[in-house]
Amino acid sequence: MEVDITGAKILATWHVPFLSDFLGDWQFTETLAVSWIVMAVITITCIILTRDLKVEHVSKRQAVAEWLVELVTNLVRTNTGGTRFDWLIPFVAALFSTSVVSNLISLIGLRSPTADLMTEFAWAIVVFVMITYQKIKSMGILGYLKDFTTPIFVMTPFNILGEVFTPVSMACRHFGNILSGVVINGLIYAALAVASSALFGLIPGAVGRFLSSIPILDVGIPAVASVYFDWFSGVMQAFIFTMLTIMFISQAAGDEA
Amino acid sequence: MTQGLVDINSWTFIAQILNLFIQIYLIKRFLFKPIQEVLKKRQELSDEQLDSARRANAQAEALRMEYEGSMAQARTEAARIISSARTTAREKSDAIIADANAKAAAAKAKAEADIQQERKKAVNELKNEIGGIAVDLAGRVIEREISEDDHRKLIDEFIESVGEAS
Repeated sequence: MEVDITGAKILATWHVPFLSDFLGDWQFTETLAVSWIVMAVITITCIILTRDLKVEHVSKRQAVAEWLVELVTNLVRTNTGGTRFDWLIPFVAALFSTSVVSNLISLIGLRSPTADLMTEFAWAIVVFVMITYQKIKSMGILGYLKDFTTPIFVMTPFNILGEVFTPVSMACRHFGNILSGVVINGLIYAALAVASSALFGLIPGAVGRFLSSIPILDVGIPAVASVYFDWFSGVMQAFIFTMLTIMFISQAAGDEA
Repeated sequence: MTQGLVDINSWTFIAQILNLFIQIYLIKRFLFKPIQEVLKKRQELSDEQLDSARRANAQAEALRMEYEGSMAQARTEAARIISSARTTAREKSDAIIADANAKAAAAKAKAEADIQQERKKAVNELKNEIGGIAVDLAGRVIEREISEDDHRKLIDEFIESVGEAS
């Protein structure tokens, strides 16, 4: 039996005039489609949570919404010390919620957008731009460039590598964890299907032939693996990515406001 | 058709950057903005309530002070009224007693005067009667008529001495 674990499906391909000369044909992939579903889920959840807000006698829905807002606000404020990174709060919220929902959406059988390196890479590049902007803002452009030659001039290439690999490592850490889940889940499904067909093939006659064609063991058993690879790893990686983002950006800004 | 497991796709890359920013906007617009508005409103409300409570407290305090002031004033007023009433009553009672004493004294004096007069009258009557009797008796004793006028002086002297003895 062959097990084929591939990347995202390409749902459509368009040739965009001019731009395709640089970027290639636009491949509309599963990643993008599921990303939009994720965005819709998050946005609709927000709208439902914030419907009919009241100042007094809040509903449970509103309490949850307020709790979420305060949770993200406190997370950012305690990790950056103060309120000067408040502009980061919606960014952190978007990053974390998109990551978590993307990771967990594989539970309903869709392919996680985070199982595509481009997703994490896009996020990491945004974070990288923010880090660089904060560094230049706090040190000045010359100070920023000079910082690469510390502690001695010889270290410059390593410093540059270190800087460049910050987003790469962030993206790859997240991507690798989710991809490993995808791969292992694929393997488990395939292996259990083979085991199922072998097990029920032992029953003689038409019944055995019929039952062995259905991967019965695939029901329920992969859910155990899913507890770690989807639930734990999914939430954990989202949290790590978000925390690293906050840390790097507040570090880059230095101590002075 | 599928992509490779790890594949570079610049369209997806660009689209995911845009998606992230769209998601930031959507979360800001649909979660943070309404919730922060409500939190701010609640903050304002509680501030306002605290303020009004503080104001009410101050008002109550002022009322209490005013009440205490008027109470003290009323107490002084009452004391003043009572003391003035007491003074008036004492004056009045003194006057009444003095009046009564004066009346009693007058009555007593009058009674004494009456008694004196009565006595004088009685003594005079007695004098006359005794004089008469004495004249009569003397006339009978000496069997002749003593001129009443002659002897009146004598008799009076006698009575006078009797009166003094009595």
